[in-house]
Amino acid sequence: MIVTDSRNIPMTKHILTIDDEPDIREMLQQGLTMEGYRVSAVGSADEARRIVREDPPQLIISDLQMEDVDGLVLIEELKQVLPEVPVLLLTGVSFDPEVVRENIRKKVSAYLEKTTSLDRIFGEIRRLIGD
Amino acid sequence: MKDNIEKRVAGVFLLVLTILVVVAFAAVRNIRRSIASSDWVNHTHAIIIESDAVLSSLHAGEAALRSYLLTGDKRDQGAYRVAFTEMIEHLEVAKALTRQEAAQQQKVLQLEALLVKRVDFTRSVVKSREQDGLEGARQALAADSDGENFAAIKRAVRNLKDEENALLQQRDKDSYLQAQTTHWTVLSGVALNFLLMAFAAWLLRDDLSARRKAATALEEANAQLERKVKERTAELAQANQLLQKENLERRWSNQALEHQLRYSQLIINSISDLVLVVSKALNVSRINPTVVHQTGMPAHEIIGSPLNRVLRLADDDYAGSAVKPEPIATALKEGREIQDWPATLLNKSGQRAAVRFSVIPLRDQDKVVGGVITVRLCPDPAPHPV
Repeated sequence: MIVTDSRNIPMTKHILTIDDEPDIREMLQQGLTMEGYRVSAVGSADEARRIVREDPPQLIISDLQMEDVDGLVLIEELKQVLPEVPVLLLTGVSFDPEVVRENIRKKVSAYLEKTTSLDRIFGEIRRLIGD
Repeated sequence: MKDNIEKRVAGVFLLVLTILVVVAFAAVRNIRRSIASSDWVNHTHAIIIESDAVLSSLHAGEAALRSYLLTGDKRDQGAYRVAFTEMIEHLEVAKALTRQEAAQQQKVLQLEALLVKRVDFTRSVVKSREQDGLEGARQALAADSDGENFAAIKRAVRNLKDEENALLQQRDKDSYLQAQTTHWTVLSGVALNFLLMAFAAWLLRDDLSARRKAATALEEANAQLERKVKERTAELAQANQLLQKENLERRWSNQALEHQLRYSQLIINSISDLVLVVSKALNVSRINPTVVHQTGMPAHEIIGSPLNRVLRLADDDYAGSAVKPEPIATALKEGREIQDWPATLLNKSGQRAAVRFSVIPLRDQDKVVGGVITVRLCPDPAPHPV
């Protein structure tokens, strides 16, 4: 079955978003759906692992600080299953640019703070996913 | 426009109908007149025939009479009697035929008088023949004065026939004219109706053409309207999507701001030192929970109060190691920091504790709008640096 959005456009690209805040998940899902993507939005590490196994995404978006797991640890675990899938770290924590450059950039494809506008976030997603 | 065309077409058809009725009426009337004329012609011919028959019977009777007078043969007598009887019958028919025509009737009556006179003469001749024989008959015939009466009868018959022939000509002429009138009336009516029908067809064709144009224009207008509706719908859908995106962007921005504030507040609240935010007039505008904990005062008693309510400098009442309050105001005015200065912290019950404090100017862009004072408890107050 071909999944379509409200405009009847096939959504071939699948994105997994991981965040323990429901509002963030809901807004990301709504925005990405409007952009034409198929979105799986989960709030826990277990759900993220299940999605990665059963319905591998073309992009993973993850928070850094979550209730049940550290974002970077979860990302490393998921990348062992899907090493080629790009990962966008979307966090409310502001890091020093040097820390980003030396530590975070080595583990994820891109890093953005949650204060970044959705328009720019979606632009980065399009770049990462190849649209 | 439509009503006008319909009225005109209806008017034309009404006119066509009227002309048809008039033509039919005129044709029927003329046919009746023709029939009447024909009857009159037949009637006239009948009178002429009867007149001729009267004269013919008279001739036959005279011939048979003269044979009888010469021979005395009874067969000749029967023959002239039959001939005269037929003559009388033809005369009676002629009288009957001219009963409706006074002038002709008069002529027939004159003829009748002449015939009666002739019959009387014939009787007298026959009587002479029977009484005086052939000589008597010859004398009686000689008294006929050369057949004057007979000539008068022939003139009367000729006059009657001439009169009837004249009437016949007149009636033929009338009949011809009526036939012509009927012919032209019908022909004109039919031609006029054809013209009117052609006019009606022209009107209808014009109307149909106008209707076709109107229908085409309506279809085009509908198509254009449909296109506009689709365009407008697409624009609205696009505007709606844009609005949704803007709304989502706004929600995202708000949540990010709230998240940052919450995060910053959490960090501040987690600091074990006392943190006080003051205005340039040294009134407390914000504190962290440690201030409440260390002073024992609720936040609302501290916020809005002068800084010296909780933090006293040397000149206030803590002689020896304290500083004057002016240095903080001066430092904020000059945008300078103060690091690790001694002071005294007052709690709710008036107890004092030695502390060391730092002041960092609070800047809004390039302008100093207040300061952040961090206070750390220390057991041994150090002397004020000179």
